[in-house]
Amino acid sequence: MRVAIAEDSVLLREGLTRLLGDAGLEVTASCGTADDLLLHVRSDPPDVVIVDIRLPPTHTDEGIRAAGTIRQRHPGVGVLVLSQYVEVGLAMRLLADSAEGVGYLLKDRISDVTDFIAAVRRVGTGGSALDPTIVSTMLRRHRVDDPLQLLTPRERQVLELMATGASNQGIADAMVITLRAVEKYVSTIFGKLGLPTTGSESRRVLAVLLFLRS
Amino acid sequence: MVTSTRSPPGPLSLGLVGAIGIVGTGLAVLLAATNNDLSQPVLRVVLIEWVAVPFVVAGLIAWRRRPDSAFGRLMILSGFAALLSTLQWTGLPVVNTLGRLSDLLVVALWLHVFLAYPSGHLGRRPERLLVVAGYLAAVGLQVIVLALGDFGNRHPLTVADNAALAEAAQNVQLLTLSGLCLAGLVVLAIRRRAGGRVRRRVIALLVDSFGLALVMVAALLVFGTFALPGFEQLQLATFGVVGLAPVAFLIGLLDARLARGGVADLLIEMGADPAPDLRGPLARVLRDPTLTVAYWLPQYGSWADQDGEPVTLPEPNDPGASDGPGGPDPERVFTLIERDGEPPVALIHHPTLRDEPELIDAVTAAAGIALQNGRLQAELRARLQDLHSSRGRVIEAAQRERRQLERNLHDGAQQRLVALALELGLLGDRLAGDPETRARLDRARQEVSASLDELRDLARGIHPAVVSGHGLPVALESLAARSTLPLTLNIQAIGRLPEPVEVAAYYVVCESLTNVGKHARAGSTSICLELDAGVLVVEVADDGIGGADTERGSGLRGLADRVEALDGRLRVWTPLGGGTRVRAEIPCG
Repeated sequence: MRVAIAEDSVLLREGLTRLLGDAGLEVTASCGTADDLLLHVRSDPPDVVIVDIRLPPTHTDEGIRAAGTIRQRHPGVGVLVLSQYVEVGLAMRLLADSAEGVGYLLKDRISDVTDFIAAVRRVGTGGSALDPTIVSTMLRRHRVDDPLQLLTPRERQVLELMATGASNQGIADAMVITLRAVEKYVSTIFGKLGLPTTGSESRRVLAVLLFLRS
Repeated sequence: MVTSTRSPPGPLSLGLVGAIGIVGTGLAVLLAATNNDLSQPVLRVVLIEWVAVPFVVAGLIAWRRRPDSAFGRLMILSGFAALLSTLQWTGLPVVNTLGRLSDLLVVALWLHVFLAYPSGHLGRRPERLLVVAGYLAAVGLQVIVLALGDFGNRHPLTVADNAALAEAAQNVQLLTLSGLCLAGLVVLAIRRRAGGRVRRRVIALLVDSFGLALVMVAALLVFGTFALPGFEQLQLATFGVVGLAPVAFLIGLLDARLARGGVADLLIEMGADPAPDLRGPLARVLRDPTLTVAYWLPQYGSWADQDGEPVTLPEPNDPGASDGPGGPDPERVFTLIERDGEPPVALIHHPTLRDEPELIDAVTAAAGIALQNGRLQAELRARLQDLHSSRGRVIEAAQRERRQLERNLHDGAQQRLVALALELGLLGDRLAGDPETRARLDRARQEVSASLDELRDLARGIHPAVVSGHGLPVALESLAARSTLPLTLNIQAIGRLPEPVEVAAYYVVCESLTNVGKHARAGSTSICLELDAGVLVVEVADDGIGGADTERGSGLRGLADRVEALDGRLRVWTPLGGGTRVRAEIPCG
């Protein structure tokens, strides 16, 4: 899998390059600015870009704007946004129309090498990766007549994993249950929440998020 | 009390000038009576006296009342010039020449008088050029006419007798003067339009009468040049109007004198209200709607009006200075009122008010205490404004520092810790075997992660980077998502706003939600954000127990400071048992 990186801290940029290289991914470009990244993506589109939200010159939203541009102009390129903060509001913006090939993770997640590489691979193949803190924040809110209260703790756990973009296999591995059991949980959850079942895993990320947001 | 730079003329000067006027007037009558060649001698002498006597009389009055202004002396001169021209009715050689030379001098002087009103000085370069051209045409071309024989009248100046050339020179002279009068009219019209502000009504009428006089003189000169029919009637009408101009001027003076009757009303008005709006009544009594009252504030070292807004006094009109278009406004002068020991008060007014220093004295004496009250009020307002802007500066500086601090944390400690965590992760990944070492590495990594979490919370508390980075709607949605209560978010699509506004609105919501969580015992909350005619309105309402303490603990005071520093307003409704509603309205500059 081919990856391009945009991160202004040299320390992190080199660490990331090493990490991805060690995991057998090919780093095609390692840039310090959003413009640089856009140029590289245009001339040599990778499978996925990893982009820091705060990039020069203003260190405000250059990264998120670059992510939007890439999603619009190169729909085949996955976009994984990294940030020191994860904001629910920004996640909703990022996933506005589709969770396909989109990721939004806290920067510290890169220290959990296995999970991080799995997330990069998922985004690079059209899946999603949403930071668990976003999902757990949204789950904490009380709702009037909350259908979430109908869920068993196990079902809730499956829902959380599902919302972060994990595949059925990923959920099965994480919870140490069979793939069939996961499928059963998923259809029960969708039934209880009154959501139509969808085929693709990234589509169900969006469905769950929209449900949690309301 | 009222400062004058020049003392009024003494009775001797006035008497002397008056005597010259009387002698001149009598002499004109005598010359007309003794000259047998003069056609219609009665009419001609009446016309001359009609444009001479009023100017001299009005000029003497103006000179005495307004010694600072050259206007009175100019009027006297123009009256004398008219009388001087009657010397041409005598047969005495040199005297006759003098009379002939000054034949049209009075026309140039009229132009000068009308354009120099009210200060007596010509303000701008075009006006000066016009007047100088007027004198050159009136006297210079007249010399040429005389040199060319003056249509058969021999003069010491005559060098050739050429009636055709003399007539041509005279026609040029008359038409030039006519054109200059029309140009003068244009100057008056431009001045009137550029003035813009309301002037004293009597003054406006006076200036209009000057304009009318200029038009008629211009027309008369053209009629004279081409010997058009109706010249005599026009001459009567023109001289009539010109002679009325000083009368209009005197009416203006009388109006100011009558105004003194208003001082009694002023006293009554002041008595009724100890701290009235002084400007209005003073403007009424002084009959100058443009009047400004300025107070000297010693501790600020500046002038301020009643609302504490800084005021610049007009430049003193210095006749010697060359004032181009950027020079002092000829229509604004100021009068200082000084009382023993008190800081001065300045009245900024139309120069014509200088006609009546007694009126200003009477009015300021009547308004004395009130003026000092007004000064205290101006001082108070200025202090308030000062306080207001210094609070704004303090909050802005604090915000700037916080933003920088957050940025430093983000680019420094946070990045380094992430890099450290990454290093630990890589190390753990490469480490085969020895489960204990791996476990300890993992723990270290989690410690770093926990530190990062804490640092994140700290940084977020220092400055909400999400607001400056991604705008209010995104930030509020994140804020709302963290709320554990059922919450409705009603956000109108607004673009990016100035950062201080966005940050203040964010803090209003943030702080209000914290209060709801801590004190309100609410079942649900709602956040509403909209932009209404350039004012950002943000409202947080809950259905809790109400009765929030708006002064202590709740942070509402700090919010109000923040919002008010941006000229906004924070209001809180918190009836017992009726929920709490916090509403901030912040203008977006």
